[in-house]
Amino acid sequence: MKQLLLRFEPVIWLLFGAGLSIGTMLLTGFVLIVGLAIPLGVVPADALSYERAHMLASNVIGRLVLLGLIALPLWKGAHHLRSLSIDFNGEARDGAVGGLLYLVAIIGSVGGILAVVRL
Amino acid sequence: MAGAAHPEAMAPLKKGATRTAPPQTPASWWGAPRVRTYLLFGATGIVYLLAGGVVWHLAWALGKGPDAWATALRGLSNPLYILFHLVTLVSLIFVGVRAFGTMMPKMQPRGGPLPVLAPGVVKAVIFGAWAAITCLLATILAGGIF
Repeated sequence: MKQLLLRFEPVIWLLFGAGLSIGTMLLTGFVLIVGLAIPLGVVPADALSYERAHMLASNVIGRLVLLGLIALPLWKGAHHLRSLSIDFNGEARDGAVGGLLYLVAIIGSVGGILAVVRL
Repeated sequence: MAGAAHPEAMAPLKKGATRTAPPQTPASWWGAPRVRTYLLFGATGIVYLLAGGVVWHLAWALGKGPDAWATALRGLSNPLYILFHLVTLVSLIFVGVRAFGTMMPKMQPRGGPLPVLAPGVVKAVIFGAWAAITCLLATILAGGIF
């Protein structure tokens, strides 16, 4: 597993970097409005009525942004947790822990693709 | 011609009491302020993983239809969700300030065709992009445009 992770290291780092930068940039506005402003009543819920939310999310740009909001944070999260695991547990279990975390990111990314395709 | 000297040729026959002990990580290594900030930066990974899951849940509900979407959106009013999103916002700002303000200005490729920019310029560009994307997305989602 360790060898496999080393082989895919450039791809993993690319996705991690994208998650760290683009994921952070996209998530900030999303969390501000969808996670906080609408639930707290600062912004009326009509702003994201089903018809409007579907219209925003179902075009090409909307689907790409939505996929970025789903997949990129998963890769940032998986890679950072792997680093944290190495810091606390050393390299001994890195293959298993890293493999499991990236598997979660892969499954989540595929799930994200399915979610935006069926919109 | 004499061969290369043995690396231990000058070492004492018996290891003395004054010999330097091998380096060991102190048990409280994670408590140092600099290390704690670094570990917190890594721990935001948990928040990002969960945040990606929440967005997936919303996208899936949107694909299922109006009822599922309304239920998912209503669910975000749960205090636990609001608390989670507050923690997420703090994490995003922490990651952004640390990564965009401290790390990225030092991570420019050197020796390539692109000029190495002053750290202030890099910070201004990245923070500007972050602010612009956040404002645009927030305005769209809040119903300000489109």
